[in-house]
Amino acid sequence: MTITNVDLSSCDREQVHLVGAIQPHGVLLVLAEPELRIVQASTNSADFLDVPCERLVGQCLDGLLGEENTAAIRTQLVKKELANATHLISVPFLSSQNGVVHISGNRINGLLLLEFELSAGTVEMIPAHAYSSRLQDMIQQLYGSAGLLSFLSVVVEQVRILTGFERVMIYRFDRDGSGMVIAEAKETNLEAYLGLHYPASDIPEPARRLFALSPLRHLPDVDYVPVPLFPDQSPLSDGSPVDLSHSFLRSVSVMYTSYLRNMGVKATLVMPLLKSDKLWGLISCMHHSEPKYLAYEQRFPVELLSRMLSLRIGDLENLDHYAYRTQLIQAYCQLIGEMGRAKNYHDVLFGSKINLLNGINADGAALLENGKVTLLGITPTAYQVGLLAEWLAQQKDAVLVTHCLSYNFQAAGEFSAVASGLLAIRISRVNLTWVMWFRPEVLSETHWAGDPKKPVIIDDEDQESRLQPRTSFALWKETVRGYSHPWLDCEIEHVSKLQQNLHDILAEQTYQLIQLNTELELSNQALNNFVYAASHDLKEPLRGIHNYAELLRLEEDEHLSGQGHQRIETILYLTGRMHHFLEALLEYSHLDHIDQDFQIRSITPLVEEVVDMLKNANPDDCITIDIQPAMPDILCNSTFVKVIFQNLIMNAIKYNAEAVKTIKIGCYTTNGMPVFFVQDNGIGISSEFHEYIFQPFKRLHGHKEYGGGSGVGLALTQKAITQHGGRIWIESGEGKGSTFCFTLTPEHVEERGE
Amino acid sequence: MRPLMIVEDSDEDFEVICWALQKTGCTHPIIRTERAEEALSRLFPGLPQIDRIDQLPCLMLLDLNLPGMNGLQMLKELRQMKQKLSTPIVILSTSDNPLDIAACYRFGAAGYIVKPFKLEQYIEKIRDLTRYWFNTITLPEEKCDE
Repeated sequence: MTITNVDLSSCDREQVHLVGAIQPHGVLLVLAEPELRIVQASTNSADFLDVPCERLVGQCLDGLLGEENTAAIRTQLVKKELANATHLISVPFLSSQNGVVHISGNRINGLLLLEFELSAGTVEMIPAHAYSSRLQDMIQQLYGSAGLLSFLSVVVEQVRILTGFERVMIYRFDRDGSGMVIAEAKETNLEAYLGLHYPASDIPEPARRLFALSPLRHLPDVDYVPVPLFPDQSPLSDGSPVDLSHSFLRSVSVMYTSYLRNMGVKATLVMPLLKSDKLWGLISCMHHSEPKYLAYEQRFPVELLSRMLSLRIGDLENLDHYAYRTQLIQAYCQLIGEMGRAKNYHDVLFGSKINLLNGINADGAALLENGKVTLLGITPTAYQVGLLAEWLAQQKDAVLVTHCLSYNFQAAGEFSAVASGLLAIRISRVNLTWVMWFRPEVLSETHWAGDPKKPVIIDDEDQESRLQPRTSFALWKETVRGYSHPWLDCEIEHVSKLQQNLHDILAEQTYQLIQLNTELELSNQALNNFVYAASHDLKEPLRGIHNYAELLRLEEDEHLSGQGHQRIETILYLTGRMHHFLEALLEYSHLDHIDQDFQIRSITPLVEEVVDMLKNANPDDCITIDIQPAMPDILCNSTFVKVIFQNLIMNAIKYNAEAVKTIKIGCYTTNGMPVFFVQDNGIGISSEFHEYIFQPFKRLHGHKEYGGGSGVGLALTQKAITQHGGRIWIESGEGKGSTFCFTLTPEHVEERGE
Repeated sequence: MRPLMIVEDSDEDFEVICWALQKTGCTHPIIRTERAEEALSRLFPGLPQIDRIDQLPCLMLLDLNLPGMNGLQMLKELRQMKQKLSTPIVILSTSDNPLDIAACYRFGAAGYIVKPFKLEQYIEKIRDLTRYWFNTITLPEEKCDE
């Protein structure tokens, strides 16, 4: 169903508004203000005005219309801006045809364009009178209709009656520019176009732009001969042709007339339907049997109708989805209410009762936040949502709406069954936070008016290889894949409102988090400083007590009883323990004062350094330490790394009752991440204690067993590992030896399911 | 014999230092001041130094954590003075903070001893100290006399 771009670009190249020619059912004069001197005239002027164009050019308007009419026009010119073609006056004209001439004008390129058109009847005939009863009828009918489609079916019927065109259709544009006939009134013998789709190339972007500009386009005869302007040299100083975009008489594109001929159309009348100033659709009238010209008075009521309809489209669409809109508003209010109460919006969006899927017609939803995916309902896998997020990150828009995702993002073809429709809102660009809703694929049969893959034929015989519109309009049935039901405006509105709320919540949370972090940092620092100062100050008197107890023992030994001697020994033992304790506390708080100097270092030499030092400190023990020779290089702080290995190896030596203490140090890789380990054949740790051993001052053994550590070693190790963003864990059982494993890099966040 | 000056506010620490000095056989007379300001005024009583070279301490043991001017400030003060003090100053402190140690050496300390926790170590350190400063310094004088 992809539409080749060749047609669009070729129509872009054909600048239909700069053709410099008009259709033959009126006369165009180009005038210079303020003297109203004619500078260019269409060459058919003699047919309507009885004056050949050569004589008109150079003349002033009063010479043609008389002073009274010219004065009336001047009054209008002062009053009106004339950005669009506007009816100025209707004058009885002294011509053989004894009719009325309607003059309308618009200003462009600093020039005034006047268009002359003959009236259908006599001067007495005023449009409102002629059509007032019909208009009244029509309005009566329109009031009776409920919903957009039934309303439009009344409109097409009424337009057909008003204009006498054999076929009247309402054509609605989709987001991709393709369109569909949603209402039709026609002569019974004609083939029905209702329900047919037309590719975007049928009414390409430049044509859509021109349609939106003018309230009505009329092509009375497909086989008309374009009337050039005289002189053919442009009155503009830069030589470019006068822009006829707003002119009712403007000649149309050759592509357009060929297209109509291929369809068997002889005459057309097209009015745009605008919704909030954007082209929503078209009222398209076609005549098949013969050319059909609709005079100014006859066009007037239908033009009025299309304008009225434009004003009502939004309301009518809303009316169609009234119940659904109410449901969405309720869901929105519930979500917002809950988010106001809850601490964490994440819990609300994925709650069991109230969640992202409340009220909205979607089968699944997902939240992507800091690389973490949370899923709800029927969705692509977390991995696929991650892919989607990468694609979303490249999009400019903060709200992304598509009902054919795989056509926009090819990789989504894999999961088009669950997510052909995607509605995504960006909450934060910095954290790459998106909320998404998914709609499943709906296989449907689309009826195209002709093969949509061949919108144009390139005529190779022609030297310029000119494009020709397709000739076949035979019904083309296509099973459409990769499409979901389209998203409705009220759904987009719903998620946009949520986006605003989530955005506000996130901004507030970020602000609070920054504040909390700052406070926490300050209080942590204060605590550390306190610990450092306190343990330091405690050391002094403690040393005094210890010294004096020793003095007592050394100098007063003969005066002490056996029990007194024992008590002195106890004082010495207790003060000694407290001293150790304070030293450990100092070391623990000292870690925060170490320079945060992180560099790529190779780990093996650092470990060897630590091992040498420890071997020197325990020369009597029989220790075998096996170090893996080439452990990977890691971004780390060498002081911290030494602290880590020193404490782990020290523990491996200390908590080991074997005759030969065997320690193995190495590294393996899981999910691309290096995991270091220190393995021993020591006493092991029963699994029930695994979660406690990293707490500071937590000891599993008596103070006099296994060298009586301070209980801070593993806490120090963990702290040093945390500084790298890594984590530590233990694999051990009682009597089985211990293996301490740790990482020195932050782990990738795991995907979390529903 | 030139005296040994000890600047130490804690009576307990002073007692332990004296005890350790006695244990190592040090016989130098001891001048104690509790505050740094007092030590400065004793060292510079207004007389030209040359006249009382014999009374100047041969070594000063200086505590860091003192009331009023602390040990480090005293070192700085001595540096800025016109009259230079020939007495070597050894710091004797509880602090084992590398920053403190480095600062003391930067401002002219001749040595730094962390006050040990065990008396045994105390005696060892004081013995090292006296051996170094008294024996090696007095030795050349004796040679000169010969």
